[in-house]
Amino acid sequence: MAVTATNSDSPTSIFFKGETGRNTRGLLRLIILCTIAAAAVASRLFSVIRFESIIHEFDPWFNFRATKYLIQHGFYNFWDWFDDRTWHPLGRVTGGTLYPGLMVTSGAIYHFLRFLTLPVDIRNICVLLAPAFSGLTAFATYLLTSEMSDSPSAGLLAACFMGITPGYISRSVAGSYDNEAIAIFLLVFTFYLWIKAVKVGSVMWGGLTALFYGYMVSAWGGYVFITNLIPLHAFVLICMGRFSPRLYVSYTTWYALGTLASMQIPFVGFLPIRSSDHMSALGIFGLIQLVGFTEYIRAQLPSKQFQTLLRAMVLIVFGVAFGGLVLLTVSGTIAPWSGRFYSLWDTGYAKIHIPIIASVSEHQPTAWPAFFFDLNMLIWLFPAGVYMCFRNLRDEQVFVVIYAVLSSYFAGVMVRLMLTLTPIVCVAAAMALSQILDTFLVAEAPAEPSGDATKANGSASSNGSANIKDKLNSAIPESLRSTKAPLVGIYSYLSKSLTAGAVTAYLLLFVLHCTWVTSNAYSSPSVVLASRLPDGSQHIIDDYREAYYWLRQNTKQDAKVMSWWDYGYQIGGMADRPTLVDNNTWNNTHIATVGKAMSSREEVSYPIMRQHEVDYVLVVFGGLLGYSGDDINKFLWMVRIAEGIWPDEVKERDFFTARGEYRVDDEATPTMKNSLMYKMSYYNYNSLFPAGQAQDRVRGSKLPATGPELSTLEEAFTSENWIIRIYKVKDLDNLGRTHQEAGAFGKGNKRKKGGKRRGARVLRVD
Amino acid sequence: MRLFNWALVALTSLASADSNLTHESRNILPSTFKPAQHFRNVNLVRNINLEKSFPRETINVVIENIDNAPQQEYFLPFEQGSIGRVGGLEVKDKKEPERTGFVVDVVEVDPYSTTEYYKITLPTPLPSKQQLTLSITYYALSALTPLPAQIGQTDKQYVLHTFSAYAPSAYTTSKQKTKLKLPTVDVPDATTLPPELNAEGKEDPQKQGTSFTYGPYNELPAGAVQEVSVRYDFTKPLVHGKLLERDVEVSHWGNNVAFEERHWLTNRAATLKNHFSRVTYAQSAYYNPPSSALKELRFPLAVGSADPYFVDDIGNVSTSRFRSNMREANLELKPRYPIFGGWNYSFKVGWNSDLKEFLRRVKGASNTYVLKVPFFEGPKQAEGVEYERVVTRIILPEGAKNIKFSTTITLTSNTTSLHRTFMDTMGRTSLELTALNVVDEFRERDLVVTYEYPFSARFRKPLVIFGGLMAVFAVSWVLGNLDVSIGRKQKSV
Repeated sequence: MAVTATNSDSPTSIFFKGETGRNTRGLLRLIILCTIAAAAVASRLFSVIRFESIIHEFDPWFNFRATKYLIQHGFYNFWDWFDDRTWHPLGRVTGGTLYPGLMVTSGAIYHFLRFLTLPVDIRNICVLLAPAFSGLTAFATYLLTSEMSDSPSAGLLAACFMGITPGYISRSVAGSYDNEAIAIFLLVFTFYLWIKAVKVGSVMWGGLTALFYGYMVSAWGGYVFITNLIPLHAFVLICMGRFSPRLYVSYTTWYALGTLASMQIPFVGFLPIRSSDHMSALGIFGLIQLVGFTEYIRAQLPSKQFQTLLRAMVLIVFGVAFGGLVLLTVSGTIAPWSGRFYSLWDTGYAKIHIPIIASVSEHQPTAWPAFFFDLNMLIWLFPAGVYMCFRNLRDEQVFVVIYAVLSSYFAGVMVRLMLTLTPIVCVAAAMALSQILDTFLVAEAPAEPSGDATKANGSASSNGSANIKDKLNSAIPESLRSTKAPLVGIYSYLSKSLTAGAVTAYLLLFVLHCTWVTSNAYSSPSVVLASRLPDGSQHIIDDYREAYYWLRQNTKQDAKVMSWWDYGYQIGGMADRPTLVDNNTWNNTHIATVGKAMSSREEVSYPIMRQHEVDYVLVVFGGLLGYSGDDINKFLWMVRIAEGIWPDEVKERDFFTARGEYRVDDEATPTMKNSLMYKMSYYNYNSLFPAGQAQDRVRGSKLPATGPELSTLEEAFTSENWIIRIYKVKDLDNLGRTHQEAGAFGKGNKRKKGGKRRGARVLRVD
Repeated sequence: MRLFNWALVALTSLASADSNLTHESRNILPSTFKPAQHFRNVNLVRNINLEKSFPRETINVVIENIDNAPQQEYFLPFEQGSIGRVGGLEVKDKKEPERTGFVVDVVEVDPYSTTEYYKITLPTPLPSKQQLTLSITYYALSALTPLPAQIGQTDKQYVLHTFSAYAPSAYTTSKQKTKLKLPTVDVPDATTLPPELNAEGKEDPQKQGTSFTYGPYNELPAGAVQEVSVRYDFTKPLVHGKLLERDVEVSHWGNNVAFEERHWLTNRAATLKNHFSRVTYAQSAYYNPPSSALKELRFPLAVGSADPYFVDDIGNVSTSRFRSNMREANLELKPRYPIFGGWNYSFKVGWNSDLKEFLRRVKGASNTYVLKVPFFEGPKQAEGVEYERVVTRIILPEGAKNIKFSTTITLTSNTTSLHRTFMDTMGRTSLELTALNVVDEFRERDLVVTYEYPFSARFRKPLVIFGGLMAVFAVSWVLGNLDVSIGRKQKSV
């Protein structure tokens, strides 16, 4: 990377000197960046090569479906889209409740390719969008880091890290067609533009920042991070006494244009002026006007007392504004912090108040090993990089420090926010590592200290040639006392080669780790499962698609499917059937209704299903295969969410045995055994095994000898490995009996007469 | 679907597709139309083959011209509604099978008529009092109905075939009989006709193993009908293709023919009485009894076919095998789920082949090529597959012209259009041919397309792309040299 310093006598030296040298380096840099982008894309293609070009997991299926709607019906219809095929019977105002950036991006790419008459399927565009954007992210990281560090290698290293670090790959493998796919690029690029704006102080860069901020708002709910980080940066700069017209220009341009841009998204609308999450940006906007005014006054009246007074006044105004904000929030004009936001401060909050948020695995607090798993060696280089920012604390380094501190906290709170931490970790780690490389990779021995000392305080304006030492020296400010001593360099080839070798080893290990993690942890589509046959060949378990396709082909176009909300988007996307609840989770009561239907007895569930016009019920059952992500394992969340709405009818305690165990075997509680979910999961399962041998391979328990009986539902379809089971809701009985009675009659059981008899027996007297 | 709009082209016709001309013959006749009694059926033997999921009927008839003048037009009547399900009607001279020139048309009658006709035009008028032996074959689609309509998952399936014991005829028939060829001896029901109808006074039908014979019958007037039905064991799927779209894309540069077929299949077999039970299905998989479910599809492809794919609306279906060697290339597909009666399955398969297997340059003409591909392929099943509609599209290279085609399959329409793909400037010439009511026995039938592909057309795309890239470079160079800065130039020259 930084091996540009070569022997001046070598015949190639003309390529590295003067104007030609600059061009050569530019070309090399371009080639390296292209290679990094290629590596970033390639490392995300595991799932495409191993499985196929398929949309992954849950949310991407909705995005994919929305994209198809967009390209089929055009932009305006998409904007006004009311989706009556989800949340039956409520429907969802989809056009106004999504971030359209992702769909519009792929729609634009689709139409561009159509314009070139390249017949690329929209599915392939969606699948490959995330890898393509990760290449751009690597480039944006390069730009951002190059603004932070003078070292020529820092940017390239950061781009390299960003390209392959698992923390980012986790959300951007091919097929992971989610908002984050483009949002991380936009995040990094917006930050780059912001830094550039603060450095240059030009309206153009501020405007560009606003433009990309607007794009970011249209793409991901995480835009709030930018909305708060930029004001915080400005605020810290002001507090450090670093207010400058550059900051004023860039901040005001960004805020005014960016807020306007963000308000164009229907889902965001007036939130930027009404919700607490956005108030800091507004507050800083006011503050910066005051500070600007103060600075102006100070320029006119250079009086120390006056300045102190003004500073006091600023504080007062700030206090008044903050008080007003609190007052407005309390009075309800400004929306208070959203629940998801509270859970950022108190990790226990969600579990108590909003179980539906807590039930999502990616909202759990991060486990410590996850940091190492996702970032590997970067996590220990990261503090070093942040420390180096302190050594040379310009405006942009302040930004790195703030970003690092904030995102470290958030990443600790929520697994998902590891994603926002990753870019800054890459930047900081690259700064640290480039320092090492720049010091130790210089092949030639440093000049005599005497000669160097005079140069040590010089600026970086050596005549175009890449004198690393000069650059290094200029990177170290004189203000720090510890660096007063002139930087000499390393003489010993041994230490040079040792350090360089160690760093190379670390880098190689990093690549190895990243590849391993990507290949093993993040490249499973989760729609398709892979297993190995005894002969080592791959066997695909494709039960999800089998069942979804069965639904798609063999049921009425408007047959309503009830399932737990996890599968809502997949049913909508693959089976193309209306669902009751889906992953949008905007209506907790509706989800709780489904939870109640699943966790109650048939007599209770049947009316609920009739009222919601449910035709089919879909459950996921992993007992045969040992697939642990099934509905019985998620069942307690259904119970909890239902209990939140109907505490009298559904009780979590009833699903645990007296000893507090969650069991499905003989010992299971009657409530458990009578719940619809239990019955649907194990219905007919016994007959697969010899009598009394039925075994649940997930829970590792032996099932009761007699299986559950269903009277209001009938089994309609079960996939090959029993992962998906679909039940049809029976119509009302023709004779007006309950289904239990009809079932008993069908079996020839005598009707119970107990209920008919009233009072004591009376002797009949004729 | 209204079938009146059909126009059937000649059995072996060489139609010019360039001019969008369809060989049409429209004879709209009043509902009171009765064919003139120019002919008499001297002897008629009808064979109905029920071994597949669609009956194949062969009528061997000796016709005699009883008019004084030579006659050329012979009519074959069908009940209204059933004519739309008749496909692949072909006529031959029984004595001279090589003789060609029989033209078959559907006669358009106004919609109130109960009877519709096929008009068979003989190659030469039949002189008065002369006889000719015709062999008429056709298939009746969707003719079998499962009875009972709902069965258990492992039950035997019985299908009902209802037909007339008297062969359809617009003329007086002196002597006739109808022979049935059944796939099994398990025939629980067959209509018994009173012996007095029978010419020989025997029991009617006569049963002999798997073949049943109705008749012989004495002289019957035109249009005589005696409805009979047989119900027999047919525990096989009744595979019915609602639509088959086939694309054949020829690439001279890539030396490749790409085939793609999109199928919309449905199983017309008896529906499941109770719903599908995976337990029963898994248990029956061990001894694999005959079943009305469609479990596997086999596509025998041309030798040398490569890169097959099998996908449906939601992605790749991993349960397929492709066995290819020097002698054969078999694509064995398993649908995502077994297709029981009443269930649908739609999917897409495609593969590539070497161009040289299908394309020849016409000797003498340097730019004229002949392409010979199967009109459609589709699965080859023992129980047969029927297609309501087959649309084959041949996409020729950009710039191909003077397109001519010929096929022995009866077509209902053909159009040529331009298909723009992969950076085409002008679009590729594509020929779209539609056939109705086709059965899989026709999958060997070829489609021969002749076209001219000038040498210059070959270099159109590289030149266009080269020019386009040059334009992009030129524009970016010009734009890069523009100075759009608002302020003063900072560079002092």
